Amino acid sequence: MASDGHPPEPGKEEVATTASGPGARDLDDPQFMCCVCLDILYKPVVISCGHMSCFWCVHKAMHIFQESHCAVCRQPFKHFPSICQLMHHLLRKLDPADYKRREEEVLEEEKRIEMYSPQIIEFLNSKNNVGNDADNRNEDSKTRPPQEVSLNGSVVDDHSKKIKLEDVSCPLCKEMLYQPAVLNCGHVYCVSCLPSLTEEALKCDVCGSLHPGCFPNVCLDLDHFLEEYFPAEYESRGQKVQSKKGQCNREGSSSGTSSAKGSSRAQHDDDLLNIHIGVGCDSCGEYPIHGKRYKCKDCTELIGFDLCGACYESSLKLPGRFNQQHTPDHRMELDNSALLGRVHQDLLMMEGGVIAPGAMVQIVFENQGMGDNGEGPGEAAIQEPVDVPGAMLHIAVDGQEMEDNGQEDDQEA
Amino acid sequence: MSGGIARGRLAEERKAWRKNHPHGFVAKPETLPDGTVNLMIWHCTIPGKQGTDWEGGYFPLTLHFSEDYPSKPPKCKFPQGFFHPNVYPSGTVCLSILNEDSGWRPAITVKQILVGIQDLLDQPNPADPAQTDGYHLFIQDPTEYKRRVRLQAKQYPALV
Repeated sequence: MASDGHPPEPGKEEVATTASGPGARDLDDPQFMCCVCLDILYKPVVISCGHMSCFWCVHKAMHIFQESHCAVCRQPFKHFPSICQLMHHLLRKLDPADYKRREEEVLEEEKRIEMYSPQIIEFLNSKNNVGNDADNRNEDSKTRPPQEVSLNGSVVDDHSKKIKLEDVSCPLCKEMLYQPAVLNCGHVYCVSCLPSLTEEALKCDVCGSLHPGCFPNVCLDLDHFLEEYFPAEYESRGQKVQSKKGQCNREGSSSGTSSAKGSSRAQHDDDLLNIHIGVGCDSCGEYPIHGKRYKCKDCTELIGFDLCGACYESSLKLPGRFNQQHTPDHRMELDNSALLGRVHQDLLMMEGGVIAPGAMVQIVFENQGMGDNGEGPGEAAIQEPVDVPGAMLHIAVDGQEMEDNGQEDDQEA
Repeated sequence: MSGGIARGRLAEERKAWRKNHPHGFVAKPETLPDGTVNLMIWHCTIPGKQGTDWEGGYFPLTLHFSEDYPSKPPKCKFPQGFFHPNVYPSGTVCLSILNEDSGWRPAITVKQILVGIQDLLDQPNPADPAQTDGYHLFIQDPTEYKRRVRLQAKQYPALV
């Protein structure tokens, strides 16, 4: 792919990215906007429904003890996906100045909360899908002069496209992504290439991690961008894919979605008690962790380092989600301090508190059972809801924190 | 935890609104007596839709944002005692897209909220009543309901 260089149409880029071209966007309206902060996407995370937001925008909106919902379509999800590095590099190249501004703003906020998003190593020719385990992929770095990764806008050569075809290629077919879909690990494939990764679960060819949950949908924002930016290539890719496979994969993706929805609803109270409130797995991203939780005794970061049972037992270890300096020789131990079942019990044992804690947890459970029918039916609804259930549990958890060294607070943020 | 997302997002909302907003609507963050702006409370005006009984009314609505916004929706309040089947006696609007557990999505903008509430004015949802007065008249006495709506529209004329 890389050796082809870019196609002989250097003028097209101006058309696509400046206000003077046809179909130009409003200059103030960035092409890739986060629907949560309404700013330019920074360190984008793509959920399996295909919608994306910034790293912190997704993480902060995740539910501390239930499944979370997409900010755009409300599709449920249980894993905090890794940053999509392909998108990250693409955004950085498209608008280095604005991306730099976002980087500074976010870093300032991270310093304030003492929690950090993963540092993305600027691998030079970030051959689309360089993982966090980028150390093994040094060979990619030779193909591009190092200046180009600098955030300094002046280095970017205005006479060629800012984005090269090899920046947006599929690791399987090695061609330009067509109808890209992003796995939980953040790596991007053509949706038509994904079935070849399926055995019992989708396994990423780049980093080897399993994709939990349903089959990912096409990331339409990225797809539309590619269509606009590389119209000729996009069209020829489209024809190739259509002639080869037809649309069978689309069907696969929608059925996967519905089955996942069905199973997630069946979450019972017993199940709920096995949840570690506000604690996520640093390897697969499960949030909150369900079942066994292993906590690192040696990581000193405020947010800690945790693994779910499956990731603890697996040989594949990805780096932490929050830039922890975790190493394999750190000691891990089972930890139940944030287990909802335990918190619940402790609260029941507390006597004569200012607020009846047992009752509060009960309310939370009732609400959990109600699911989609949360809106008050009929005339009974005349009594105004005082507060949302999430907030109530929060109070309960806060009470617990004093006994638990404030651990949950750190985790949940 | 609460981070800067709520305020950052609201600043962007304010920018987007200034650039473009639907005709007749007003939305601005509260200005405190000392001149500083409180982004967490917005004072808005929703015009009654033309061609409906609500026409001519410019209804004041206050949006209360929490630090958890946009994970959690803002609380939207008309003046206390506002006449509408889906408005609580306190003035709080009951609408699916403003309910965290049913319809709220962080992608919903202030503009969409206000237009949604404008739609709700003339299309109340009898399946989800929030006040007895408005609900009973809407179900049992359409003529009186209409009269009350028109009367209320006159109580909130355009501020010139």
